Amino acid sequence: MILVLAAVLAIQDTSRITEAQSVLSQLVESYGVSGMEAPVRATVQRLLPSWVRTETDTAGNLWVRAGQGEGGGPVVIVAHMDEIGFRVDTINPDGTLGLRNRGGFIQSLFEAKPALIHTGGGDITGIFLPRDTGLTRRTPPPLRVSVGATTRAGAESLGVKLGQTITMPKQYVRLAGTRATGRSFDDRMGCAALILALRRLDRSKLKHAVIFLFSTREEIGLEGAAAAARQLGTTTRRVHAIDTFVSADSPLELQNFAVAKLGAGAVARALDNSSITPPAYVDSLAEIARARGIALQIGTTNGGNDGSTFVPFGVVDVPLGWPLRYSHSPVEVVDLKDLVSLADIVRAVAEDW
Amino acid sequence: MMMQQAVKRQLRRSRDNGGGRAVAVDRRICFLTVSTAALAVLTASLSAQTADSLAIRFSGMTAITGYEQAVTDSLLMLLPGSARDRTGNVTLVLGRGSPRRLVYCSLDEIGYAVGNITDDGYILLRRVGGGVRLYPLFDQQLEGQRVTLFGRKGPVPGVVAVRSTHLTRGRPQRDEPPFTVDNAYVDVGASSRDEVLALGISGLTPVSLTKRPHRYGDRLLAAPNAGRRAACAALASAALSRRRVNGTVVVAFAVQSLYADTAGLKTVVNLQGPFTESRLVTVPSTFLETTVETVGLKDVDALKADIVKWIGGSQ
Repeated sequence: MILVLAAVLAIQDTSRITEAQSVLSQLVESYGVSGMEAPVRATVQRLLPSWVRTETDTAGNLWVRAGQGEGGGPVVIVAHMDEIGFRVDTINPDGTLGLRNRGGFIQSLFEAKPALIHTGGGDITGIFLPRDTGLTRRTPPPLRVSVGATTRAGAESLGVKLGQTITMPKQYVRLAGTRATGRSFDDRMGCAALILALRRLDRSKLKHAVIFLFSTREEIGLEGAAAAARQLGTTTRRVHAIDTFVSADSPLELQNFAVAKLGAGAVARALDNSSITPPAYVDSLAEIARARGIALQIGTTNGGNDGSTFVPFGVVDVPLGWPLRYSHSPVEVVDLKDLVSLADIVRAVAEDW
Repeated sequence: MMMQQAVKRQLRRSRDNGGGRAVAVDRRICFLTVSTAALAVLTASLSAQTADSLAIRFSGMTAITGYEQAVTDSLLMLLPGSARDRTGNVTLVLGRGSPRRLVYCSLDEIGYAVGNITDDGYILLRRVGGGVRLYPLFDQQLEGQRVTLFGRKGPVPGVVAVRSTHLTRGRPQRDEPPFTVDNAYVDVGASSRDEVLALGISGLTPVSLTKRPHRYGDRLLAAPNAGRRAACAALASAALSRRRVNGTVVVAFAVQSLYADTAGLKTVVNLQGPFTESRLVTVPSTFLETTVETVGLKDVDALKADIVKWIGGSQ
């Protein structure tokens, strides 16, 4: 009987991983630099269960409301749709494009790599130019992009315009075991967790109204979430930002904090650069995870989270994440088991807390 | 049959990609793993291809100096009548009589091989090829990028570790020296040495940046080693054009041009020479030794036409 149960669990695990991968890969392969999240928003809408009705606010945030509960204010669970990248800031007389960063990252990872300029009508291909020879330090001078044009008019004739966003091509790739790599797992893992939780949500169990919020412009200052926080004001009962736990699980990182193993489950992001979760809330969260048998790690890492924009309104922020290696790089690495765990804990805090 | 259909589908997809955005080089079509049956289909399709479509395809291939065998396997199938010598060069003899001339391209590239595997499943590298004149940022192009490890069980995707942006705050960055291969930890998703070995990866497994030839602008092609691969594509396309040959022309795809004092070319000359004339074919490229080394596909077409003329005896 034990063997049969184990086999059944294994099959279930496989199907959960398969579903998680199916959702995550579609989100990761959608492009959405901060301020231009429409393609990601469309992917989220496509992946949501059929009962869901969505609203998009003027900040571009996508709202999903579930349940009425016992009245009172809602619990907000928020993940951001945007990703790091660049914006076309200038079109130079020699046809190259000057860039402005959208979010923080290591510039050299984009130097001498293929580029995509995202327009409303498809992508224009180009390259991030290598630096001129002679500069042998790690960090390059400000990056420029070539679309193969030699004049400003030539670049414009290809469809390049100021304000368009630029990234490099990305692809979801499965690694050994249940690991995967790609760019923008931060925060498509969070978006995937919300979608997976909504697919299994038992709305009859909700104690409170719950808002699942897919936010915009997190990477450039938590702007979308801030707009939602202002709109809800002091009515919000509690907020959970579902975002990356940047992990030191790497041979290149110091081990003084940010310790959370890949594959060991979701992480309570109890202390970061923007918020501190009251210890009693961390204990409650741990109890909910324990009661449902959900793997949960507790730790501290760097970075800010969308939930912190609710704190000035008297709202407690209980952020949750998953361990991520190589944050904001083209090769972020995750473990799909952690996504399943994260989706389960998101569902649990919606239904049980 | 299924494999043949898969390759036909892939060829169609590849042609479709030719005029558009990034040309993803799928693991499934990696030349290092294509079966004999699939290569037969590939050969049949080759005559219908232009030099520039071959340039895109060749730019997606990996031939680390000294470890070119898989690519030369493919060339043998692509070029009926060709042969491989013990050093690994692929040669095709056209025509007969005199004069006896040589036209060749350099096939190999600087790359990496597995040097060690840590207990916790990270893979360490050594560079293969590249001397003191190597582009000083060559290794840095690995950092935080995808790589392919050509293991005994087939290609394995991996990534080169990079410090997390969020955890670098407050540490000095601006004047840091470039990243070097000595700092390269390859992560294939394994958690132990045994898991790595189970993937077919061991010491000396060849490793390269994952190739994703990328078209942009007016028929520009960006890829690592695009110049060398485009030249070999023009040469292969010219050799397949079956035009008139003046005397004997040995067409050679030379290995180990970057190692052991150009051992590949010297072998060709010693085994198949002497030659009254020899010609290295090249395509002009910009951003040499970078991952976006760029060639103009117009130049590839022009080179092919020029090689055809040269084979026929015209200058």
